[in-house]
Amino acid sequence: MTTSKTFGAVVMLGVMTLFYLIPVIVMCVGSLMPDSRVLTDSLTVSRWGENLTLTNYRDVFERVQFGRFFLNSVVVTGGITIVGLFVNSLAGYALARFTFRGRRLFLFFVLVMVIVPFEAIAVPLFYLVSAVGWRDSYGVLILPFVANAFLIFFFYSFFLDIPRELEEAAWMDGASTSRIYWSVILPLAKPVFATGAILSFLFNWGAYLWPLLVTTGPEFRPLPIAIATFYTLPPLQWGDILAFGVLMTLPVIVAFVLFQRWFVESVTTSGLKG
Amino acid sequence: MRSDGNQSALAGLLLSMPAFVGLAAFVAMPFLAAVILSCTDAQLNSPLAMRFVGTEQYRRLLSDPMIRRALANNLVFAAVVVPVQTVLALLLAVLLELVPSGKRLFRVLLFLPVVFPMSLIAVVWILLYAPGETGPMNRVLSWLTLGGWEPRDFLRDPQLAFPAIILLSLWQGVGLQMVILSAALSRIPKELYEAAAIDRAGAFAQFRHITLPQLRNPLVFTMLLTTILAFRLFEQVRIMTHGGPGDATRTLLLQAVESAFDLQQIGEASALSVVLFCIVLCISVLQQVLLDEGRRS
Amino acid sequence: MRLRLRLSSIQHRRSARPSWLRRAHRLLALSFFWAAAACSDPGESATLTVWAHAGQPSERRVMQTLVAKFQQRYPHERVAVTFLPEGTYHAQVQAAAAAGELPDIVELDGPLVPRFVWQQLLVELDTLLPEQRTANLLPSIIEQGSFAGRLFAVGMFDSGLALYARRSNLEQHGIRIPTHPRAAWTRNEFEKILADLAADDLDGAVLDLKLNYTGEWFTYAFQPLFRSAGASLLPSAGSTTVAALDGPRSEALLRRLQRWIVEDRYVDPNTDDRAFIDGRVGVSLSGHWEYGRNSAAFGDDLLVLPLPDLGYGSKSAQGSWMWAITKASIARPRAAAFLAFLLEAEQILAMTSANGAIPATVDAIRASDRFGQDSPAHLFVTQLKEGFTVPRPRTPAYPVVTIAIQRLLYDVRTGESVGPAAVNAARRISRELAIVAGEAKEVTTDNDAQ
Repeated sequence: MTTSKTFGAVVMLGVMTLFYLIPVIVMCVGSLMPDSRVLTDSLTVSRWGENLTLTNYRDVFERVQFGRFFLNSVVVTGGITIVGLFVNSLAGYALARFTFRGRRLFLFFVLVMVIVPFEAIAVPLFYLVSAVGWRDSYGVLILPFVANAFLIFFFYSFFLDIPRELEEAAWMDGASTSRIYWSVILPLAKPVFATGAILSFLFNWGAYLWPLLVTTGPEFRPLPIAIATFYTLPPLQWGDILAFGVLMTLPVIVAFVLFQRWFVESVTTSGLKG
Repeated sequence: MRSDGNQSALAGLLLSMPAFVGLAAFVAMPFLAAVILSCTDAQLNSPLAMRFVGTEQYRRLLSDPMIRRALANNLVFAAVVVPVQTVLALLLAVLLELVPSGKRLFRVLLFLPVVFPMSLIAVVWILLYAPGETGPMNRVLSWLTLGGWEPRDFLRDPQLAFPAIILLSLWQGVGLQMVILSAALSRIPKELYEAAAIDRAGAFAQFRHITLPQLRNPLVFTMLLTTILAFRLFEQVRIMTHGGPGDATRTLLLQAVESAFDLQQIGEASALSVVLFCIVLCISVLQQVLLDEGRRS
Repeated sequence: MRLRLRLSSIQHRRSARPSWLRRAHRLLALSFFWAAAACSDPGESATLTVWAHAGQPSERRVMQTLVAKFQQRYPHERVAVTFLPEGTYHAQVQAAAAAGELPDIVELDGPLVPRFVWQQLLVELDTLLPEQRTANLLPSIIEQGSFAGRLFAVGMFDSGLALYARRSNLEQHGIRIPTHPRAAWTRNEFEKILADLAADDLDGAVLDLKLNYTGEWFTYAFQPLFRSAGASLLPSAGSTTVAALDGPRSEALLRRLQRWIVEDRYVDPNTDDRAFIDGRVGVSLSGHWEYGRNSAAFGDDLLVLPLPDLGYGSKSAQGSWMWAITKASIARPRAAAFLAFLLEAEQILAMTSANGAIPATVDAIRASDRFGQDSPAHLFVTQLKEGFTVPRPRTPAYPVVTIAIQRLLYDVRTGESVGPAAVNAARRISRELAIVAGEAKEVTTDNDAQ
């Protein structure tokens, strides 16, 4: 009974996963095929092995500045994540540990800001940054996303849960606020920072709308815009496009597989805490 | 709370200042600007002075059949994706629990699309939806129906374009929901099932009386999260169909971006943004109320 | 240099806005300007910056060659071309303009020239370009590049619309072959031709209107039919009542089109874009860009014919990419020298041989293989030269006009009720016409950005 149930589950899961992976398989296999064969053969398992080639990958680097796009994405996502972790964790810490004028108001403000979806402010923000001539720069891609209400609240609830005794002991020993933060709080908060970093990465790596509005040429264009642009750039060569796709996801997939436990845990904690 | 007077107050202010300034400048201020601009006829690069037009933009939006179609599409998207994706995610999560080994492998594979940027997914799926009998989706359907499927041009077919968008969105979204539900599932105390087994409760009864109630909050959370995502639907339609054919795949956000970016109509787009915010606000409030209720009981 | 320029252009733009917004902008500017300035490229004052649409690889290659040639001729000049993706090209240019980041020279699509002029983004070219260069241009180019009687943009090539058919097929059905737009098929003649061809066709779909295309095509290709039927794409506010978009002539035309598509099923959906070259249809309404492919498929049998005369003469389309100098440019005479160079017959021919378009000057046409006197494709030249082409509505409201027309034609081909659809489109256009008709608060001179 149990074995047949298990067997059934494995088969069902296997079949579902297989169908689920068709797009990924088409992308990987197609990226190795001459352009003319992508459409006809990327689903024909028996012909997968025929004259595979790496020309598509070479084409990507010849046709566009792939390295530049990748760098842009890394700089922007990395900038948002690193600066953001710093800024948001400090704010979370301040809210959890200090009494200051306007604290309750700020906390309420953060809670309200959590609700505002970026999509609802993209248009006016675009209008405002345009009006001051701010465009085509890393700054305009990074700064609007550094302060993140969700992450502030996330850190705030974490710091609330840390027993106060640890800091008070350090305080008695005469440690300064910054010293306490660096040597007492941060080591404790490592897992939370990892979670925050992964969430921030997931929020921002695929960002499309904002870079679409504020970047013009290839100079600051990040990968999500670059792939959509590459698709519209004649001639339409599917092999090249799929190779571009593999190139842009491969590093992320490697990171994801290496740290998959962290990824999964980050997402679930954010989800379960709600 | 540390309360040693001025120094603490100053430190608190200083530490929270960068985040406060960031939120104020890049969330609160643009939002206020949206409200104000939505009452004007502002256009990007217009040589004319901006005029206050009161609620005219909103009145026009409400009477515009195109906007109504866009809103309807968002609602249809939510109405289809939320239940279907939830059932699929739940099914996958339950299957994952039943699998003796390789759970991690399956979870990684199923979570994979979540780390793909939506714009890449959209481009790859344009290929999958290629018209003609060589199009991969046409092929899979023909294979599944033993050759009974007539090849279609999914993205240009008024009946199929939106379902095609929905399908790929499901594909991308189900992994995230599955992972959250799967984690919640593995946290249900095994004793509950053992007790139920002693009471001779069948698998279905166990699912209904133990699993579902235990998953209440994760379910509410993920379902409403997906509902909010339904109103943020944009990249897929911008890249794959531009809202077409006709208005078949138009959405509120697409409309807002097109009027602001392609047509420079900032006033109209701001009004749409405000409408979008109000919808998301309602869903968020509903989410909180339901979650609090769940925590209390 | 660039930095100062940007500051001044911001101040200029700001002055047109109400004071609360001005103050908000100044605040924002103060807090973020340095961040923005620190992150942006300082640029080189000696380089002429050019934005062009990405286009086909061959067009990009020719453009690079032309730049190299220009730099060779004027060794002290540097020209940097940035190719921007076509799908979002104009949106990007508009956004950059709002941020005060326009290059010296921009390429833009002909029908958008009035909007850019209205937005005070372009520099008048009459005084900047040598007369011998502009005198040589086709009248259609001057018309397309002018607004309010002044020239703001020039093109290296133009476009055209025609009916493609096969001589053997028409002769077999005893159909008259018109050789000049003045002798075009009349409305009744055209409908009889469709009926005759359909009677002899397997599925009865004998006409290709390129329904597989999306976007601008519908405004481009159908507006000549409107004009030929004595109608206009503008609502009554912008033209006389009888010719208005929501007037009787337009409604009759739209009904006719709808009948061809929905009831008579004369029109092939052309999903594979091969309806004509696979011989599925007898007549194809299409652009000059299909001449190469059609000619390769049918050789001498290919006919290029004028569009039918629906009552007010046979009309064709015109308009393509054009070059303009922006007000952001601080090197206008040098930018104009580059444009003058591009308008030389040799450079025009290099470009048109890459993209297959119709050369924009008389001498270039004379030297062209494809559009010369003896080619069937010379009809495109005749149409442009003798005034048989009509520009799309030349109004700053054009972006909204074209979207409204595209939606209207979608409604027509999907069988929606024609009257309400036209009224709807007319309403949307009227609104935008009223907005752009508002009086500009501040008229700036050409020199204010310097």
